[in-house]
Amino acid sequence: MNRAVRRISIAALVMFVLLLANVNYLQAFEAGSLSNKPGNSRAFTAQFQYQRGDITTSDGKVIAQSKSVGGIYKYQREYPLGPEYAPVTGFDALYGSSGIEAAENSYLTGDSSKLAVRNVIDMITNKTRKGATVQLTIDSNAQNAAWNALQATGKPGAVVALNPQTGAILAMASYPSYDPNQLAVLNGSESNAYDKKLLLESGNPLLNRATSATFPPGSTFKIVTSSAAFNQGNYNTQTLVSAPTSLQLPQSSVNLINNDGEQCGTLGNGKATIITAFTESCNTAFANIGMQLGSATLKSMAEKYGFNNPDLTIPLPVAQSNFPLEPAQSFTAMSAIGQKDDTVTPLQEAMFAATIANNGTLMRPYLVQQVQAADLSIVDQAAPTAMSQPVSAAVAGEIKNMMVSVVNSPDGTGYAFKNAIPGVQIAGKTGTAQNGVNNSGLNDAVFTSFASSGNRSMAVGVIIQGGGYGAAAAAPIAVQVLKAYLENG
Amino acid sequence: MNSVATSENPALGGMPDSPVPLPRGRRRTELAMLVFAVALVAFAYANVGFGLKGKLPPGMAEYMLGFIVLLAIAHLAVRKLAPWADPLLLPLAAALNGLGIVMIYRLQESGRNGNPGQVIATLSSSAATLQIVYTAIGIGCFVAVLALVREPRVLQRYTYTFGALGIILLALPALLPASISEVQGAKIQISLGGFTIQPEEFAKLALAISFAGYLVAKRDVLSLAGRRVLGIDLPRGRDLGPVLIVWGVSLLLLVFESDIGTSALFMGLFVAMLYIATQRTSWLLIGFALFIAGAYSASKLFSHVGERFQIWLHPFVGNNPFGNAYQLVQGLYGMASGGILGKGLGGGQPYLTPLVQSDFVITAFGEELGMTGLMAILLLYGLIVQRGLATSLAVKDPFSKILAGGLAFMLALQIFVIVGGVTRLIPLTGITTPFLSQGGSSLIASWMMIALLMRLSDTARRPPPQPIQDEGMTQVVNLS
Repeated sequence: MNRAVRRISIAALVMFVLLLANVNYLQAFEAGSLSNKPGNSRAFTAQFQYQRGDITTSDGKVIAQSKSVGGIYKYQREYPLGPEYAPVTGFDALYGSSGIEAAENSYLTGDSSKLAVRNVIDMITNKTRKGATVQLTIDSNAQNAAWNALQATGKPGAVVALNPQTGAILAMASYPSYDPNQLAVLNGSESNAYDKKLLLESGNPLLNRATSATFPPGSTFKIVTSSAAFNQGNYNTQTLVSAPTSLQLPQSSVNLINNDGEQCGTLGNGKATIITAFTESCNTAFANIGMQLGSATLKSMAEKYGFNNPDLTIPLPVAQSNFPLEPAQSFTAMSAIGQKDDTVTPLQEAMFAATIANNGTLMRPYLVQQVQAADLSIVDQAAPTAMSQPVSAAVAGEIKNMMVSVVNSPDGTGYAFKNAIPGVQIAGKTGTAQNGVNNSGLNDAVFTSFASSGNRSMAVGVIIQGGGYGAAAAAPIAVQVLKAYLENG
Repeated sequence: MNSVATSENPALGGMPDSPVPLPRGRRRTELAMLVFAVALVAFAYANVGFGLKGKLPPGMAEYMLGFIVLLAIAHLAVRKLAPWADPLLLPLAAALNGLGIVMIYRLQESGRNGNPGQVIATLSSSAATLQIVYTAIGIGCFVAVLALVREPRVLQRYTYTFGALGIILLALPALLPASISEVQGAKIQISLGGFTIQPEEFAKLALAISFAGYLVAKRDVLSLAGRRVLGIDLPRGRDLGPVLIVWGVSLLLLVFESDIGTSALFMGLFVAMLYIATQRTSWLLIGFALFIAGAYSASKLFSHVGERFQIWLHPFVGNNPFGNAYQLVQGLYGMASGGILGKGLGGGQPYLTPLVQSDFVITAFGEELGMTGLMAILLLYGLIVQRGLATSLAVKDPFSKILAGGLAFMLALQIFVIVGGVTRLIPLTGITTPFLSQGGSSLIASWMMIALLMRLSDTARRPPPQPIQDEGMTQVVNLS
């Protein structure tokens, strides 16, 4: 009888071997294709099973965190400061993500290869897995000032503030904004309903104007035109240039005038020094300089300042600021004063001032200061790098003098802000950009500026859509952001 | 220890103490392995607490203490009642039972859709406690079997009683009205005041004993060869009777109770025992062929059986993943998400699989312990089967040999049918996973089966009576 028992044993062995082989096949070889099957809710919900890392400001304020909610989706994203930081954090919802949540997703989830070893250790020690904390460069005071000021205008607009020496983004606000908490709810229909509502709302609240929308730079582009001129060596701040009250553009019916048709400077002979033309923002003077330099020279300088770059990421993708080569002199003249086809993001606006503040070197802007794993070790840290050097330190000094003059000179467009921050010298350039078809739209208010106090310095770019004069609508916002940052140094 | 056991059993050829060294009973090995099993279960239980809530589960000390007390009772009973029994069977069963309780606790805590407080529809909020109660009853029955069945041959006397009992237990749900016997389209249980009993779990044991007794009595007749066809000795036509009867009963089960899995188990059990008894390969082939033919015609004749085949062959086709094959597909997704190392206890989403606590409990282990853990669990079962078969080889008397071999093979077949079913190796049929599935009947019956195997191995390993070599001095016996 034992022979039969042995054969039965072999049959039992075969059954167990089949089971073991099948389990291997299922869980090791077929696991991937099973996970990719449509309708596999486990694979879909997997991203909500682990606690994502926090997103914090540089001064430690938590602006995105995961709260445990239980259920199929264990964790839901929470944004304590909601709309204020929405352009920065973006959202992490059932149907998608945006902002830092999307750009730094692999760190926040902990899936990054740089975290792989820690994950294995966590699994072995059965520690609850948690994603890495992403610390941003944002300064909460500056961000708060920017958001409050934008909200107060009630007009669509955006503010970007940079540390000129490093490129760190200190503030990035956009108005109108949205509440990412309502998109992050783990209820598909609720989340969808809010998304639909946002899409129908005027002002496109989901658009991050700071980096994803472009506007005409207006007179702030005169910084680029001046840079191109001074770079040539034939010009300096005291060079007298033709600055008539009105200028008939060649081969064109356009009769370019200065603001309100005013005379430029006090000489009265149709000429003005470049610093006077810059201070008073005379269009005719810079249109003339632009035509003398030519479109190619202007384009080359604009590109050094960051124009025409489709690949900039901070790590959020940044829309390209445009400066195309203009075929006609009249167009070149218009483009030299930031009109025609010129468009910039508010970030680009801040990069103008940051370049001058940093002695002519443009630092690559970045939003992520460091990434810290759940065990508090640093996984990734920002390394400031220079992006380009549009102008020499000497030229940057000359342009700085002109930007100071804008604020300090009684004729300057920014004179109202001379003593806006006690003990702090503000340098800036206003812009009032016409837009719309045949300039039918309301003027956009633009301002780019920088200031420093002690060891803190900041460059701010502001664009308010339909705000009117840059000095009236945009500059006060920039001043509030500068004040909030410099006075809390 | 030896003296206790032998002097306690004077009626069963009790032996005086012997100066000749006897083979050891290995009870200390059993104790050490039990400690290991308890440690494994405690670790898994703590793991669930940390996985779900980041802290030790509340009441862990009480639960573990209860578990330890139950196992201590079982171990002491073995020391007293079956001191020569295989030392691995009790620890293996204890480890599986403990892991089952842990998984039921884990499912109960995460609730429906992972929402604590929303109890899974088919799982009560006190399922884990209830499972511990069942464990206690199971271990009680384990001790009772060891105490009542001192010699396997005792069972042989009741061959036909057990046979009748088995048939009645099997037929009971089919005869009772559907309102108290139907679950998931299969009539396999009896519901009485909130408690349900699945009589087939006990019928399996009764019929195994009955088959073994019958085969021992008739094996000479059954071994007689008839005609020889294609090199195989076919049995005589008149001897086919018992096979055809069991085949018929298992097909009736299939048809009236929609329970393919159990009918496969009975068929497998009977054929394996028949083969051990007669050593005739022809019986194996006939039994196998009859079952395949029966199952095939059932799949053609009855839609619910045919549907099982369709689900097995095409689980991902069309609407199947969201319809008929939903449970199977969810189980597969769970195992896939577990991958090689698993999500960790409390880290997966086994609650997405319907009825995960009973038929599909193995997929929950696959999801949370991964391929690695699942293979370890399969090996635990494999070891029980192996110990059972080793007992069958070692034991002398034919009844015990057939019974041990049959029980071990039936366990292997049961694991193959349910694990193979949920992992889509074979068509899915709903039977319980011994020790792991939620529910009392299966757990209690499994403990009784372990008790039978231990009784059989105790018989197999018990040293033969030693010839008296030294009668020593005349002893004074106090008669007052």
